[in-house]
Amino acid sequence: MEQQRGFSLVEVLAALLVLAIVITTTMAMFVERQKRMQAANETILAYQAIANEIEYRRRVPYAELESAQGTFVTDTAILGPLAPFAATVTVAPPQSNVKVVTLSVRWRNGQRVERVSISRVDTGGSGLW
Amino acid sequence: MVKRERGFTLLEIVVVLAIFGTFLWIVVVLTADMRAWEKRMPVNYMTHPQISAVVSRLRKDVEDAGAGYYKDVYGDYHMSDKTLIVYTLQALGTGETVVWDFSKDGEVTRHAFTDISGETSKWTAHGTPTFVITDFPIPGHPDSVRIKAYDKDGKLAIDQIFQPRAH
Repeated sequence: MEQQRGFSLVEVLAALLVLAIVITTTMAMFVERQKRMQAANETILAYQAIANEIEYRRRVPYAELESAQGTFVTDTAILGPLAPFAATVTVAPPQSNVKVVTLSVRWRNGQRVERVSISRVDTGGSGLW
Repeated sequence: MVKRERGFTLLEIVVVLAIFGTFLWIVVVLTADMRAWEKRMPVNYMTHPQISAVVSRLRKDVEDAGAGYYKDVYGDYHMSDKTLIVYTLQALGTGETVVWDFSKDGEVTRHAFTDISGETSKWTAHGTPTFVITDFPIPGHPDSVRIKAYDKDGKLAIDQIFQPRAH
């Protein structure tokens, strides 16, 4: 049988298929990595703002927790790269002299949200300090 | 019999360029999007072990601060936006005066002193951004400390408030 140079159509199609799978997989990994890194960095910024607000809310008198401002009081300049964002504080109804204060930061039109809850206890006195 | 000529037809070239161009376009768009995002975000200093160690140790010193909390002067050091002087309690209940020196670019130094022994320890972190210390007065509780750090583009990268805890 005479051997001819070149590749058959089936061989070329198979090679293209393998190449397409490899390239598509690599692209997908790259994009996913980028998304996760971005999310991680944004989360770190959000948690810094939340931690700062927690320090303030720890000092608000127990009886005044509900009436305190419902948005972050501390400077949220650290959240600039996440703009537009919403930083809110909610206080759950007290149960057994414990109020749960939840601090939230939402960005990307609400698609991303990070929140931390702290429990404030009614010590019945002037505080622990 | 068809005479075979060397080279490629125009159609073959166009198809190859279209396929190659598609992949190239995807890479260009992804790269541009990534660069735009990186320009907007500050440097993530908290992943740097020495910088996260600075923040952690400073948090510990302030949260364990004892009576009197801060001092305006200690030895040759004066409280300023680049120097923090705090009296902090140690594990055994004794106290030490800690001076955090942020005045040198790229370095943060923690000096610990006791009145009996003088300087007992000195620790320096390298590769640090520019830190600034301010206070953060909470009504009725004027003892909070706020540290901020900016990257070389002036973007705020670290912003943390610490306050002494009850002992």
